Amino acid sequence: MARVGVFVCYCGANIADFIDVPAVVEEAKKIKEVKISVLYKYMCSDPGQGMIRDAIVQNRLTSVVVAACSPRMHEKTFRKALSDAGMNPYMLEVANIREHSSWVHQKDKKAATEKANDLIRMAIAKSIANEQLHEISVPVTKRALVIGGGIAGIQAALDIADARIPVTLVEKSPSIGGRMAQLDETFPTLDCSQCILTPKMVDVASHPYIELIPYSEVIELDGYVGNYKAKIKKKASYVDFSSCTGCGACTQKCPVKVPNEFNMNIDKRKAIYTPFPQAVPNKPVIDATHCTMLLKGKCGICAKVCEKGSINFKMVDEVIEREVGAVVIATGYDLWDPKPYEEYGVGRYKDIITSLEFERMVSASGPTNGVPIRPSDGKVPKNVVFIKCIGSRDEAKGIEYCSKICCMYTAKHAILLHHKVHDSHAYIFYMDIRAAGKGYEEFVKRAQVETAATYLRGRVSKIYKKGDKLMVRGEDAQIGQVVEVEADLVVLATAVIAPKDNPSLARLLGVSYDKYGYMSEAHPKLRPVETAKAGIFLAGCTQAPKDIPDTVAQASACAAKVCGLFAGDTLKKDPMVSTINNEFCSGCQNCVKVCPYQAIVTEEIPLGHGSKELRTVAKINEGVCQGCGSCVAICRSMAINLAGFTDPQIINEIVAI
Amino acid sequence: MDHSKQIQDIASKLFAENKIDYFVGYRQNAIDDSQVPYLISDPAEIPRLVFTDRSVFNLANYLKPEHTRRKRVGLVVKGCDSRALNLMLTESQVKRENVYIIGICCEGVLNEKGEKAQNCIECVMPDAVVYDEMIGTPTGKREYIVNADIKELATIALEKRADYFEDIFSNCIRCNACRHSCPLCYCAKCCIDQETSTLYHGANTSSGAMHALMTWSLHLAGRCVDCRNCEKACPSHLPLHLLHKQNESVIYENFQQHLAGMEKDDRGAFYKYSLSDPDDFIL
Amino acid sequence: METEVKEAQGKIISAENPDIVAPADWQPVIMGILCNWCSYAGSDLTGTSRIQYPPNIRIIRVPCSSRVDPWFIIKSLQTTADGVLISGCHPGDCHYISGNYFARRRFLVTKKLLNFVGYHENRVQFSWVSAAEGPKFAKVVAKVTEDIKKLGPLHRYKKENF
Repeated sequence: MARVGVFVCYCGANIADFIDVPAVVEEAKKIKEVKISVLYKYMCSDPGQGMIRDAIVQNRLTSVVVAACSPRMHEKTFRKALSDAGMNPYMLEVANIREHSSWVHQKDKKAATEKANDLIRMAIAKSIANEQLHEISVPVTKRALVIGGGIAGIQAALDIADARIPVTLVEKSPSIGGRMAQLDETFPTLDCSQCILTPKMVDVASHPYIELIPYSEVIELDGYVGNYKAKIKKKASYVDFSSCTGCGACTQKCPVKVPNEFNMNIDKRKAIYTPFPQAVPNKPVIDATHCTMLLKGKCGICAKVCEKGSINFKMVDEVIEREVGAVVIATGYDLWDPKPYEEYGVGRYKDIITSLEFERMVSASGPTNGVPIRPSDGKVPKNVVFIKCIGSRDEAKGIEYCSKICCMYTAKHAILLHHKVHDSHAYIFYMDIRAAGKGYEEFVKRAQVETAATYLRGRVSKIYKKGDKLMVRGEDAQIGQVVEVEADLVVLATAVIAPKDNPSLARLLGVSYDKYGYMSEAHPKLRPVETAKAGIFLAGCTQAPKDIPDTVAQASACAAKVCGLFAGDTLKKDPMVSTINNEFCSGCQNCVKVCPYQAIVTEEIPLGHGSKELRTVAKINEGVCQGCGSCVAICRSMAINLAGFTDPQIINEIVAI
Repeated sequence: MDHSKQIQDIASKLFAENKIDYFVGYRQNAIDDSQVPYLISDPAEIPRLVFTDRSVFNLANYLKPEHTRRKRVGLVVKGCDSRALNLMLTESQVKRENVYIIGICCEGVLNEKGEKAQNCIECVMPDAVVYDEMIGTPTGKREYIVNADIKELATIALEKRADYFEDIFSNCIRCNACRHSCPLCYCAKCCIDQETSTLYHGANTSSGAMHALMTWSLHLAGRCVDCRNCEKACPSHLPLHLLHKQNESVIYENFQQHLAGMEKDDRGAFYKYSLSDPDDFIL
Repeated sequence: METEVKEAQGKIISAENPDIVAPADWQPVIMGILCNWCSYAGSDLTGTSRIQYPPNIRIIRVPCSSRVDPWFIIKSLQTTADGVLISGCHPGDCHYISGNYFARRRFLVTKKLLNFVGYHENRVQFSWVSAAEGPKFAKVVAKVTEDIKKLGPLHRYKKENF
């Protein structure tokens, strides 16, 4: 016979003002299984929990019902009180009489009291069917997988590796460095991006705990938190990295010229190339889509000039496997293509460029050796118009959100322009200036005052050509007039967007993504680093647009999360998982189909006791199971049950009122 | 439609080549002109095998797991039967290598009144979809027709329809013949027989029957192939096809024209989803 | 299938069984089955925002709308409830990736089948309520309560109450 204790909380006045709590306590006593029913002002307080502990011992209770706030709030607190009293913590049920009754029926005390009675009856009935559950421990593989070798991935990998946890860093391009390697100087301090980034890149390559796998992609991830198995495809580079010295003879002699994506296609690279001089690893790869040897079987000059014989045209993609316990996603961002801005003449006028193209031009190591030029005639521009919010905050043509970094880098560009071309003038069309951050507002001020950039609040409506100049017509909302600026060069601050591969990667990893393709965090405020899938974390712009300090901070947070996960030898897991009753399972395997986590496999068991004949039944990997109950509801023979939400528990709840 | 001779020939061949241990077909009923399922292990009984438009039962029901685990069975299937068999194969209930399937291109069977049966008039796939050997000329997939009875029921007033179904449910005697006759009701232990089930203590009342039959039809939703074995087995002559055809029509209409058992490895409409499934009924 | 509701002066007539009449102040019981991550959290938010809604709903928490077996609905309608509301995460937002897509299919078929055997289609309703949609939850509950009040008490299959 079940012995239930009912503990009703006043929650100060939150519950007591709108529900007749003493009447509720008396009502619960009418149920024959209820051995004690009491009330207290704050059940979650120490004395409140003490009452529960004492009552459990004194009344030899078998289950406990706490009628208070939402179980999402204090379920854990009360579970702990139960286990402190020597009771299985999962014998607790919480009747949510605050969020579901007293707070939402404040004008009808009678109805609210009745509802509270019913909710308590349901909780009592459910608790009678509760079973003793025990936390599950699963072993952990102490190795982290970091996907993406930009600043986010680099920082996460270094921080994890510094805690002496092995890291596998997978980068899809031939070198790590990411977008930050393309930047010239960084706001708000104008320190040189390469100078602060490249030491970290070198650290990654030389760190004893980091395994760097460049030019490769994750193609499969199986398993669950602590026990993932990743398949990594190493793309054929046609260069044997172990013997290559990175001398560069091959890239010099290669006759094939290809637009250089690192320099935003402003200049050319070769078909065998290292993306940039400071690349890590500093080994060339062959671009198979352009190499004439690979395409037509002719040339092979690189192989002839390579003293080490490192060129191998027969190399093929290779798939390797790594067992990891946690994954950090750091795939970064892409930039929005401003083509829809036809009224600006995007695509028609060569002298309209994007901010990253401008960034490459002003970079000392860039295609124009640090001097901005007009793509049409190679002249150095004097009047440069910067237009912000191209694609950002534009529901009609682009995306709804603010890309966050454009205000700052445009201010930086105005300053850099002034540094590189002293007699130039920057005009900046903007919607708002969003400069929240340490030193950011001061930095914008510096652009406005020191470089005397003209900030014009308003949208540009049209750009047209007049001679070799571009006429930029827009509104200056502050004076309420149309203005026209004669520009040598127009720079568009295009929106930050999620990499186009993000959705397919998300599906492959089993994490969710939002409508823009950014990876979704588990909670927007309280769990911004985790995904909903345990053991997979997010760093940098793969989640949302971020600047470098935020990205680095989040990457380090990922590292802290990974280190926390790996702190013990096993992981503790909620016991609310599905279990299969082999006796009832007929092996139809439909549950295998509906499980979103591939937690269900099949196993062969003897047909009967001692029988040599085998039959197939489903088997649940409790380490993988997240307890959604999809399999339970579709199992026709009711062979599957979900601990904590079993059929008897739910029947009891339904019929309790 | 009389394929008796061909079936006898095939059965003889299979026994002679030692390809099967059992053969499941039909034989003439002694008392009237109906036929009954006939399971033979002795080739001497082959001459009694028949197949005509009176061969109504779905013989896939005789392949519930134990039979094909050890024994090799030769089996006659019509279009609808083969769809059930297809599902049983997909759901790992039958070992394909242990069953020799004689597929019939069915021309429709007769009901007890001697007319063409309703499910044959509305049949979408008269040819066997899975077979080792085919008898007859395939005529291919036909257009889906919404069942005449459910179309008619949908037009009558709610309370009348409720009365009608309450009558049906109150006539159920909970004998579970429908379940036993269904090839897709192969569960090791049916939910009705389990202590944890809401149906376990179900008395023989209209509400108990309603709960049981509704649950049963939902377990067969997207899987039922409209062979009407259940209806033939029901001692109370309940129109059980109504529930199944209703589910089938909703599924066909809303879920990419899904029909049970038509394709290999298709598990039924509830075990997959589409992002474009109807959402307008949800607030 | 028709959705007509009979009106009577000062009385509520059961939609499925016109012989059953309830007084005008009759209050239905609605069984609310909510998924833990979106709708239950959303209903908590309704509470913390103090948005008022009719007190007829009794809430059961399940991990995911895909945990809802159709017999939960049938059982509720046969025993305690005059109506059922099931709520989960919006498509694409399922905490368990795809649970609500599977659930959606079952819900549609179950709803149509119940209507077919003589339950008014408004007896069983479904909603997607996210954790942020406290006001929406209140609106949904108000609408469902209003609908079911109009339908009157559910009497069929309840008399034995087995």
